[in-house]
Amino acid sequence: MLKRQNPSAPERSRDLAADGGALSMSHNDSRSFFNLSQLVLSAGQIKPSPALKHSKITYFEVEIVDVQSKKQICIVDKVPPASTILDVKHKFHKTCPQWYPSRVGLQLERNGPFLKDSTSIQSLAVSSIVTLYFTDLGQQVGWTTFFLTEYTGPLLIYLLFYIRLSSIYDQVESRKNFRHPVVHLACFCHCLHYIRHVLETLFVHKFSEGHTPLKNMIKGCAFYWGFTSWIAYYINHPRYTPPSFGHKQVSYAALAFLMCEAGNHFINVALAHQTNSGNRTCFPSPTYNPFTWLFLLVSCPNYTYEAGSWISFTVMTQTLPVGIFAFLMVIQMSLWAQKKHKLYLKRFYPEVRRKAAMIPIIF
Amino acid sequence: MAAAGGGSRADNGYGGQQARRRKGPGALATGYLVIYNVVMTAGWLVIAVGLVRAYLAKGSYHSLYYSIEKPLKFFQTGALLEILHCALGIVPSSVVLTAFQVMSRVFLTWAVTHSVKEVQTEDSVLLFVVAWTITEIIRYSFYTFSLLNHLPYLIKWARYTLFIVLYPMGVSGELLTIYAALPFVRQSGLYSISLPNKYNFSFDYYTFLILVMISYIPIFPQLYFHMLHQRRKVLSHTEEHKKSE
Repeated sequence: MLKRQNPSAPERSRDLAADGGALSMSHNDSRSFFNLSQLVLSAGQIKPSPALKHSKITYFEVEIVDVQSKKQICIVDKVPPASTILDVKHKFHKTCPQWYPSRVGLQLERNGPFLKDSTSIQSLAVSSIVTLYFTDLGQQVGWTTFFLTEYTGPLLIYLLFYIRLSSIYDQVESRKNFRHPVVHLACFCHCLHYIRHVLETLFVHKFSEGHTPLKNMIKGCAFYWGFTSWIAYYINHPRYTPPSFGHKQVSYAALAFLMCEAGNHFINVALAHQTNSGNRTCFPSPTYNPFTWLFLLVSCPNYTYEAGSWISFTVMTQTLPVGIFAFLMVIQMSLWAQKKHKLYLKRFYPEVRRKAAMIPIIF
Repeated sequence: MAAAGGGSRADNGYGGQQARRRKGPGALATGYLVIYNVVMTAGWLVIAVGLVRAYLAKGSYHSLYYSIEKPLKFFQTGALLEILHCALGIVPSSVVLTAFQVMSRVFLTWAVTHSVKEVQTEDSVLLFVVAWTITEIIRYSFYTFSLLNHLPYLIKWARYTLFIVLYPMGVSGELLTIYAALPFVRQSGLYSISLPNKYNFSFDYYTFLILVMISYIPIFPQLYFHMLHQRRKVLSHTEEHKKSE
């Protein structure tokens, strides 16, 4: 007697996929074969096969192909339709342990965009086999590590120059020269700036789980560490010339620096609070704190304050290399502010319309 | 340093063929570029002719720099326009790469050869001037013909083959010239500022030149092998094309 039993779907799709054949074509063949085999088996004294779960889930198979060599690396099978790219990456990691998930870049077509971790397989699949192209994104590093390294470096490097290491400066000259108070003040301000950054990275900022390639960290560190060495060399040099306008210039600049530092800190705290409370539906609003009032004029006040800090530092020390560093920082931050501003315009249209990106009124 | 120059041109002489992948320059831009490249070819030909005439007149190859000083400065500086072309997008090359190559040439022409008068009689100057002249004549005529979609195989072959000799020749000439300029820079303190000064800044041109020379070590092999790689790609592609016809 022919048992009219629907063969369980997962088994069927696995068999078919292994043949690489389209579902519909071998459908009839395998069904009749299955029925035949059931007939043969039921004819003998064999234990009846246990009742299989009649689940209607079609599992997907994800074929991972190397984007450059076009060779298949492996097939991730038994992928439930509700799973996301991240699940696929985890399964892939089990098969090929050297590619951990954050290092894997998967594309649907060879020149397409990288697929987000949250994309579901179901939305991509045209058949039960999905082909994804794999790119190695390189050694990854977490955001916290990234920022901590970037900010601790300058802190220590500046101090090395401040104590006037004998290998950097000529010892005879160093001992002879009297150090102008602005040199001590500059050291204090510089350390304050980077200590604040480090503490904010540890306690204030909330980073997403994301990672960034190691290359980016090396580039960022080279930039910050290199420039810090350059500016520290001149400020702590025995032949340093104090600012032309004397104490007035130094005091006003120091005051501006401290205000910008405080402003930057309060803005970061405000932004972190907003992320914490999950309230991303409206633009951060100014509070009773006067430093946050810049939110009324500008969409990225943290960059404004940071730019202000560096410009004040330049005026305070009257050193050209610091000016060059400040100039480059301002350019970099303007680019970031512009990008963020465009994002805000899309998200919070009416409020943000009359604001500038970084510099009130001008830009 | 960019003796083989313009190797970064993403076009690679496929001018018209690649138009289906990206929008080529408009008709006006193409016309302007043709004129620019023709003028530059003519200019470098003038320098070549000047060198030959001076050699025949003097009977020796020493101190030929003076006979082509003005056209060399004019046409090499004119190459700065190429950065503008990339920035405007009428030439499909990377702005950064082109800027780097052109600036290194301009640096050598003005900041070394022009500024340090004592090196102008060196033979190394002739070495890089000859390398640059031959390379630029071929390169600009290559661009001219590709823009007009009538590229003779000879020019393409020349562009992707002669660099094998010309590039090292140019680099040697440049390095020897910078090396020859070093003692004179140290002596005269050319372009250098020292502490103490109001802006707390110092710059030592001598050290800077040494750093420039050192930077040739990582950069030259990379560019050279890139050009070799391009050569394999371009010339083998043409052969396949010919075979399929």
